[in-house]
Amino acid sequence: MSQSNHHSFTPSRVEVKDLRKEFGAKVALNGVSLVVEPGTFTVLLGPSGSGKTTLLRCLAGIEQPTSGQIRIGDKVVFGPSTVVSPDKRNLSMVFQDYALWPHMSVRKNVAFPLSNTSLTRAEKQRRVADLLERVGIAHLAERYPNELSGGEQQRVALARALSSQVGLVLFDEPLSNLDADRRDQLRIEIATLTRDAGVTAVYITHDQSEAFALADRVGVLRQGELVQYSRPEKVYRHPKSAFVARFTGVAGEFAVESVRPIADKRVEVTLPFAPFMTVEATTSENSPYDVDPHLFVRAAGVSLHPETSDAGAPGVIRDVAYTGRGYEHVVDVGAPSSLTKVFAAERFERGDKVKVMFDPQSCFVMNAQEEA
Amino acid sequence: MTTTLSLSTTRPRANLDWLRRLRWSGLLVWLVLALLIVVPVLTFVAVAVSPRLFHQGSSYFTLANIATAFQGYTGQGILDSLWVSVLTGLASVAFATTIAWIVQRTNVYGRRVWSGAMWLLLLVPTWMTTLGWIDVISPGELAWALGVHTLFFYHMFFGASGIVFVNMTASLPFSFFVISVGLRGLGSEFEDAARVHGAGRWLTMRTILPIIAPALLSAFVISFAETMSDFGVAFTLGANAHFPIATYTLFNAIYAFPANFPVAAVIAGVLILCTVPPVFVQSRVMRGRSYAVLSGRTRAVRRHHFGPVGRLALTAGVGLFMFLVIGLPLVGAISSSFTNTASFITSSGVHWTLQSFKDVFQPLPSYTTLGGPLWTSNQLGLWVASGTLVLAYVLARRMASRSPGVGQKIADVFLLGSIAIPGIVLGVGYIFFYDQRFITSHVVDLYETMPLLIMGLIASSVPSQARLLTGPVSQIQSSLNEAARVHGANKWRAFSSTSFPLLSRALVWAWLITFTKTISELAIAQILYQPGHEPASVVIETYLGTIFASIGSAATVITLAEMIGVIGIVLLIFRLVTPAGWRRIGEAGSYS
Repeated sequence: MSQSNHHSFTPSRVEVKDLRKEFGAKVALNGVSLVVEPGTFTVLLGPSGSGKTTLLRCLAGIEQPTSGQIRIGDKVVFGPSTVVSPDKRNLSMVFQDYALWPHMSVRKNVAFPLSNTSLTRAEKQRRVADLLERVGIAHLAERYPNELSGGEQQRVALARALSSQVGLVLFDEPLSNLDADRRDQLRIEIATLTRDAGVTAVYITHDQSEAFALADRVGVLRQGELVQYSRPEKVYRHPKSAFVARFTGVAGEFAVESVRPIADKRVEVTLPFAPFMTVEATTSENSPYDVDPHLFVRAAGVSLHPETSDAGAPGVIRDVAYTGRGYEHVVDVGAPSSLTKVFAAERFERGDKVKVMFDPQSCFVMNAQEEA
Repeated sequence: MTTTLSLSTTRPRANLDWLRRLRWSGLLVWLVLALLIVVPVLTFVAVAVSPRLFHQGSSYFTLANIATAFQGYTGQGILDSLWVSVLTGLASVAFATTIAWIVQRTNVYGRRVWSGAMWLLLLVPTWMTTLGWIDVISPGELAWALGVHTLFFYHMFFGASGIVFVNMTASLPFSFFVISVGLRGLGSEFEDAARVHGAGRWLTMRTILPIIAPALLSAFVISFAETMSDFGVAFTLGANAHFPIATYTLFNAIYAFPANFPVAAVIAGVLILCTVPPVFVQSRVMRGRSYAVLSGRTRAVRRHHFGPVGRLALTAGVGLFMFLVIGLPLVGAISSSFTNTASFITSSGVHWTLQSFKDVFQPLPSYTTLGGPLWTSNQLGLWVASGTLVLAYVLARRMASRSPGVGQKIADVFLLGSIAIPGIVLGVGYIFFYDQRFITSHVVDLYETMPLLIMGLIASSVPSQARLLTGPVSQIQSSLNEAARVHGANKWRAFSSTSFPLLSRALVWAWLITFTKTISELAIAQILYQPGHEPASVVIETYLGTIFASIGSAATVITLAEMIGVIGIVLLIFRLVTPAGWRRIGEAGSYS
């Protein structure tokens, strides 16, 4: 009986319930629950050791959770009485180190997932050729992995993952070994090819810009716990904790002198280095600001003005870097820490005195010590 | 149908299932290893202090045998073995470092030829080298025929210097390969960093030497342990030179009349005690460096470029050295095989003849022909190499585990210890343990049977092959297998399509090394062969001790040629039947 493991293509819904994974005494995942809707692109973001790789490997079936439940499509693949092996989960994966088989040519690597399907030989060949064409490496089909550059190898890994028309594709930091130019280019290709294929994608990274560029939903992991799982815009504009705010990128973080509520989740704060002005900011119910309140400012919410401006906190330019479309500045505002990555279309020189203004939509007040 | 599918894709509580299965497979492996190595050796060594327990004396506990073993002939043997092994280790490291440096770090001609010669040297057993040298420098032999009177070297050879020299040549390949790896991994940036920070040549060398110190120590320990365990030189050269070596005195204690098992057991214990600690020290020093993963980050080696004259001189030097360690003994054995007298030269001059080669396959009164024994040796080689490969791979998988547990650590310690157990100790342990009445009467009577010899040879090969395979096994990144699994391959297909092709070259070489080592093995074969089914090495040894030495030489040449032939055929088959991609693995720069 010839039975295909990879069934006809339908994007999978992924449901993770209260997942826990222990490595000896170390808890790698602690009660993680999330739902990935069919056909969406979810990015799990977190620093090293946050458990994102473990979660991905649990989804793949490479790692076996300690407890909890994982459902892929209509099938429970891990549960109290069930463990489905990786080859039966109807998924594919792009590995961080590409994991291309060095003894197989590019064509054979890409064709591997098709060998268990009921496609005819001609259909398989057509499908492999089509995919290699789409990822732009058709001319390298007979080469071996070690004869390819890092970017080319990653394209092979991507083609292999998409070749079998599975419902779920997992990405394990696929761009981390590439240089900046190739990373941007491949990120776009991953986004477009995956969405064109219509599959559900779960992607892990520690790079917040990569996460926001790719994701329909972003999950932020910290010490084995999913601390925020939402649309990228919401994670960016309404971080649930100081940790999420920091990890998704802030230009500055300052202790505040006073906090005054002005509306629901809105406060007005004064800063020690600019006592004459107030700054409006958003609060988070998960991070009460009654203990050690700090103002967190996104880079996009800081603007620089000449010293002669009436409003704004005084500051001094400490460093400036040309970025092509403008300038990024480091500004000393008289606080222990400086503002970084402050963009301006015009260049302010080192030592220039400036005024700094904050956009209320990009400012948050949260408990700096309460991380989760 | 749906139900069937559902059942086939799920299994109940695999967590416990997996643990249960692991425990059973682990137990099975340990049981096999216990029967192959631990029990026979420990039982035998126990005779030293409790002879009565095994019907070998009157005391249940005594230390008298230990005192006896350290006196007289046997005591001298232990002492000789120790200082000869230390000297051999030092010489081996010195020569291997020089040759490895020239081959790896200079533009010497014929780099592949010298590495190939080292492989050939690895295949040639010490008793063949010894006999080759005897055929060259003995009065009336090749050197004399060429007008070189080598009486001085002949006397030197039959003594400590000859024993150290032959053992040094035998351990040279191990040292060469270990040090070569160290030198290859030593990227030029270390030298560059020292030089740009003001270090002269001498200080630069002193700075980078500690980086390869673990490789040097490792080479010394391997050479020391190999020499301590060697039986071939002890049996062929030591015995004739009246220079007692511990492995030979152990053999003597068993085959003397009456046999003295308790004293032999003490010698066995001493041999193990002498070889195990250095191997452990080496393991500690090499921890974390032994199995370097090949990667794209492997640094390019910068070679010193000598001018034309220097390059030629370097090549001539290496060529001369390699000729001395491998070429001359082979020439000696080959030339001797083309005579049919005790001497190369007779009163009527030099006589070349193929008679010895004919005699090898024609029965002489009271002597065995080579045909049957060589066939037996090949059968043994086939069984031993195949059995060893399976066990060694299973052990290598455990050793290379990414999540090392207690089992892996025990396996590591056990294999290290087992490598150091001399073949002669294993052999004697086998005849002692498997001849015990409770085994022969109640379990199985394997004494003087072919299966016992096969078991003994597997036991002696598994530890070193398992450690040899651990390197390639641990170089396979786990993601390669995981990628196969998540892309639809079951466990078997994931293994056969990823791990197996990647390991195929290493497996073939492990099989070939075990096969050839089995054919040339003397210590265990001499002790455990089934009467009437002598292996080739035992028959050759019998010839060489008689006036029919030239027949022994011819048999040696045929055996060696056969071994090389098998290697050639197996490698040719590997080349013909495997896909091109498989053969790329292991070639320089192919796996990054």
